[in-house]
Amino acid sequence: MNAPAFNENLHLLNGNHAVAWGVRLAKPDVAPLYPITPQTPILEKLIDFQSKNEFDAELLTPESEHSAMAAAIAASATGARVFTATSSQGLLLMHELLHYASGARTPMVLFNVNRTPGAPWGFWPDQIDSLSQRDTGWIQFYSENPQESLDTVIQAFRISEAANLPVMINHDAFYVSHSIEPVNLPSAEVVDGFLPRIPREFQLGDDSGRSLGAPLDQAGWNLTRQDMDVAMQGVERLTAAAGGDWAKLTGRPAAPLELYRCEDAEVVFVTMGSMCGNAREAVDRLRENGIAAGLLKVRLFRPLPAEALREALAGVPCAIVLDRNYSPGTGGVLHQELKAVLFGIETPPRLHGMLAGVGGVNVPVETIEKLAAEYRNAAPSAQPIWVE
Amino acid sequence: MLEIVILGRGGQGAQTAGNQLAQALFAKGYFVQTFSTYGGARRGTPVTSSLRVATRPIRQRCNITQASALLCFDDSLLDETFLRQGKDDALVVVNSARPSEALGGLGNRRIIPVDGKAVARRNNMGKVVNSALLGAFAACLGKPDLDTMCQIIEATAPVKKQENVAACREAFGLLTQASEGVG
Repeated sequence: MNAPAFNENLHLLNGNHAVAWGVRLAKPDVAPLYPITPQTPILEKLIDFQSKNEFDAELLTPESEHSAMAAAIAASATGARVFTATSSQGLLLMHELLHYASGARTPMVLFNVNRTPGAPWGFWPDQIDSLSQRDTGWIQFYSENPQESLDTVIQAFRISEAANLPVMINHDAFYVSHSIEPVNLPSAEVVDGFLPRIPREFQLGDDSGRSLGAPLDQAGWNLTRQDMDVAMQGVERLTAAAGGDWAKLTGRPAAPLELYRCEDAEVVFVTMGSMCGNAREAVDRLRENGIAAGLLKVRLFRPLPAEALREALAGVPCAIVLDRNYSPGTGGVLHQELKAVLFGIETPPRLHGMLAGVGGVNVPVETIEKLAAEYRNAAPSAQPIWVE
Repeated sequence: MLEIVILGRGGQGAQTAGNQLAQALFAKGYFVQTFSTYGGARRGTPVTSSLRVATRPIRQRCNITQASALLCFDDSLLDETFLRQGKDDALVVVNSARPSEALGGLGNRRIIPVDGKAVARRNNMGKVVNSALLGAFAACLGKPDLDTMCQIIEATAPVKKQENVAACREAFGLLTQASEGVG
């Protein structure tokens, strides 16, 4: 875990304010934003910074999230560094333009606070809002804690601008977004050095008379997706490089995947976001009681680090996926992705899919411990299991 | 790890109190994590603030179900559902003019009343009880020390800084003899 050491640079911040600090340090030129619970503290903090002349991005507050994303795409197309943030219904309203942003190859960073979509109405941590956007061509990260959210915002601008693909970072409502805890703020000099301005290969408004997104024939359209595929394939390497450089500057590593106590593990939990914290605690307690448990944390979800996942899980006797989301008709999204990734490898784990925490219900550490005891020697089911 | 749950009614300042307590413990070198229930919260409905305190980074991201200490802003909220969020031997501090025996317990939980409203009134704070309750709670917990708690209250109270600090000091003094530390 990229937890900070106790020192004088630590500040007590909630997860959303940590994001706002990351944005302030990354110095975007334009930030179109529309408020929505539980994202709003990000917007409020940026406005607070701006009122004190500490943040000079052009803040746009249009009439909807759809318009915010349209403004973000247009701004990025002119070469501006762009940030936006939303949650749940807001992200879903952006859906059409999420495809447009990746197709137009406009780099930007979007921070999404994972929240249940209606109906019924709710405000609870659940990742189906962003996971249901997995096919829109956005790079997706899932963050475990406020420190990681701040660090990932800064790294994401570098990754996005290098790949010419938009990045969506996600953290869970309340357990991360509103959790106040010590966060280490990097200095402006460190971030400036880490995040240089890279001139874009193409940008509108430079008097060269270009257009963006004009109609293409079938073959031309097909080529845009082949180009995107090449760019996506480079993202895992870019993420590892950005995380490696960040670790050198701050001491906090940030890899696409994290393996926690997986060496010799007989059972490995696989999960994303805030659930990783509880799973770490469960792993330690299980090991104290003689069960060799481990955690495989998926930080980069799109592109899915397929080879690395196969390597991490090959030969592991049992893997238990903890999905804080539910895709009706199939089950947990991460479970589904892992089944696909592990298909055909020689020594796959027995893979169990647990719907744990759907709708934001509490998943205490003890519940995760019990899953290991109950399922580590059980035959896997193709169906997901609802965890009480 | 010390786990604390604070329960109040929306608008009473339970969430603010949780944040101030976290800041004071952080100032003393503890890792802290505090979060609130949210969403349906509005003035008058029950609101909880949860707080974890440890000497190493805190990893759990789940509700607190076995708190070592509970602080209740309103004795009308002191029911079994709330008390069950604490361990059997949890320390419970409750804002009440009634004596301990009248409050009814559960298990071996030690229920300590503090008349926050009377302390607030004596210090020109009207019905605003959060600084008084923080003083009482810190005395019972054995941390943070009174000066640190008062510094944070002074730095963060939006109005009536000196009155808030005085209420905190008076309640801390009232509870100091009557209590022993936990955690």
